[in-house]
Amino acid sequence: MSWIAMIGLALGGLLRKKGRNTLTMLGVFIGVFALTMIISLGQGLMAVITGTVSGDDNLRQISLLPGFGIKQNDKPEEIVIEGDMSERRRERLRRAAIARSQLRQTASGQSLRLTEESLDELRKLEHVQSIKPLILRRYQVDFEGHHSDGTQTFGIDYARRHPESRVIAGRYPSSNEADEVLVHEYLLYTWGYVTEEQAAGVVGKTLVISSVKGAGEDNPMPMPEMSPQDLQALFRDLKLSEAELAAVATLSKRLPEILAKLRGGEQRRGIAIRRELKIVGVLREPEAGDRFNLLEDGQSTQADLFFAEGLADRLLREAAGSGDVVYQRALVMVDDPSHAEAVEQKLRDKGYTAFSVATVLKRLESSLTVVTVILSFLTGIALIVATLGIVNTMITSVIERTREIGVWKAVGATNTQVQIVFLIESALIGLGGGLLGLGVAALAMLPGDIIARNLIAQRTSFPYEGAVFILPLWLQVTGPVLGTLVAILAAIYPARRASRVDPVTALRHD
Amino acid sequence: MIVQITDVWRQYRMGGAEPVAALRGATLAIEAGEFTCLLGKSGSGKSTLMNLIGGLDRPTKGSIEVDGIELSRMSARELSLYRREKIGFVFQSFNLVGSMRAWENVSLPLVFAGVPRAERKRRADEMLERVGLARRADHRPTQLSGGEQQRVAFARALISHPRILLGDEPTGNLDSATSEQIMALMVEENRRGTTIVMVTHDPDLAERYASRIVRMADGAVVGDTRREKLFATEATEKGTEAASQRG
Ligand SMILES: Nc1ncnc2c1ncn2[C@@H]1O[C@H](COP(=O)(O)OP(=O)(O)OP(=O)(O)O)[C@@H](O)[C@H]1O
Ligand SMILES: [Mg+2]
Repeated sequence: MSWIAMIGLALGGLLRKKGRNTLTMLGVFIGVFALTMIISLGQGLMAVITGTVSGDDNLRQISLLPGFGIKQNDKPEEIVIEGDMSERRRERLRRAAIARSQLRQTASGQSLRLTEESLDELRKLEHVQSIKPLILRRYQVDFEGHHSDGTQTFGIDYARRHPESRVIAGRYPSSNEADEVLVHEYLLYTWGYVTEEQAAGVVGKTLVISSVKGAGEDNPMPMPEMSPQDLQALFRDLKLSEAELAAVATLSKRLPEILAKLRGGEQRRGIAIRRELKIVGVLREPEAGDRFNLLEDGQSTQADLFFAEGLADRLLREAAGSGDVVYQRALVMVDDPSHAEAVEQKLRDKGYTAFSVATVLKRLESSLTVVTVILSFLTGIALIVATLGIVNTMITSVIERTREIGVWKAVGATNTQVQIVFLIESALIGLGGGLLGLGVAALAMLPGDIIARNLIAQRTSFPYEGAVFILPLWLQVTGPVLGTLVAILAAIYPARRASRVDPVTALRHD
Repeated sequence: MIVQITDVWRQYRMGGAEPVAALRGATLAIEAGEFTCLLGKSGSGKSTLMNLIGGLDRPTKGSIEVDGIELSRMSARELSLYRREKIGFVFQSFNLVGSMRAWENVSLPLVFAGVPRAERKRRADEMLERVGLARRADHRPTQLSGGEQQRVAFARALISHPRILLGDEPTGNLDSATSEQIMALMVEENRRGTTIVMVTHDPDLAERYASRIVRMADGAVVGDTRREKLFATEATEKGTEAASQRG
């Protein structure tokens, strides 16, 4: 059987009705175009996510936070209201129970703290390679007349030297313990160091950080500023007795002294830390192409001061005094990405708050897949409509060419050959539409990428320069192949009909 | 004996009513190399018989043997190959494909035989040359006269060198002068050894060209005259008829 000759015959048939066949082809084109765009975007977004996340051991990391001592994964659907009552009432009480179970989970306080002992305990868990506290702390900062109360600082992992490439002026701290600090360019900008030269000019100067006792990540200033007058007003409100008032009157002579003790004195609450740090460098905001570690760099996106972990830890211990050192969060590293989920679950079972990048990624990926699949099905409707168009066109073609089919048969075409000619004809329509859809999609991705990148840039703090639409080889093949297959399927019935044409009737003289 | 038709019936069932019989027990034997003309009134079953010989249709009953092979036992595919290899058709309405050039129409049988394009073109040009249309190879049917179209159809019928050429009123749409051209081509082809069976309504044409004249009426062969005898004694027609029915 000569395929080339049959393809030629089919092509001839197609060219005879160019307009009609082109329109039919456009149906396939639209379907393939939309499908290619959507899958390509899905692929691209997946790559954006995994690209930001997967490198640099991200998938081995688990973020660990203090827990509430309650298993986090209480399932609301498992709550049962027992007793003899109407279904309406049971349903009402069940909803109330769900609401309260959520309340209990968040309101019962941090009963599981991250202390050195608890971290040591967790380090013994199987597959846990290391647990490292992340020290994020707010300090008051004073520099050249600028003052800020709650500047976020971050203890960078000195050994990994992760943000080293982001130092735009000066250098990285010289040791893990050195009283040296990197300043974020944004803090300098808010202080009026606008140009890069001005920013670079702070290198070598000294800034002061301080913190009061009991201050923590979220609570840099436990004591309100109070004047002696405020305090006297407070006493008046308390409706003191004559004797007490007399005592206060005596005491009030020493109010400034008392206030000083309350607010800033060295004995009980006062300034816990006051440290002069040498500015050794200026750190810039991450850019596209920087190595980005989600649980380290990702945690420090709000930090303005960066110093080595060793110093951060020392400062934390000093602030804690004789009390426990309590960490706000820690980074758990497991031995292999495949164990991240199990370890995460184990931490949760113990009552800690934990989430691994791998799980988050998995969840994102599966929801992205769901969205892509749903959208693909919707576009599939376009392809189905295109298929109906093909069926219609091919049936019309068969009817119009009944006599020609009779001639084919009279000169020796087998039924199979007749079918094949029509299948090829339809396949060519599908292939043409598919290739066109692929081509136009490939072109549309160029502006599409720019638009999508702009959207990402406007709405997130993550820099991204890669492609948002991805057209892998398999997707390039999918469109035209799908178009062709769909067209061939659509032509099965018309082609059969063509092969059943009775030559005697078709050729009868009229 | 190249074609042996024995007691062939062809009935058409028309929705429950009594079946219409186009052929009712037709019997006919055709020798290789004969030039047979079928004559008969409209509706006598001539076209039906041609279609059966050509393998376009199957008999309801009876046997058709060509080269000793029974057509009714062939599968649809075998019938197609039979048409492709052994039969050439020429029709009253030329049945050319309007969108194809003359040479493409001529080479159509070769498309299904899987002959490569270059060879198809060469052989089609050869055939067009033979029917005197070498210079019209690239013309479309609408650009050709009726006679020219029928010559293209003739070239198409012969491009696979069939053993039997079937013509169902090939001159029916042509004037007498162009009819003569077609008949001349027929005779030429017959001299090359091709067996020819053609239907005509023109007894004069039949008498001048055919080596044998078969008359049909009511779906049966009712008369059979060989040319030599035709010329010798028209009066003994009934005798030859009886002879042919025996053979
Ligand atoms: N498909 C069909 N369905 C029903 N009856 C048919 C069919 N084909 C042919 N017939 C009938 O069979 C009979 C023979 O038809 P056929 O075409 O063989 O006659 P013919 O001798 O070729 O006539 P003409 O000279 O007019 O071409 C006619 O009565 C015709 O009506
Ligand atoms: Mg007829």
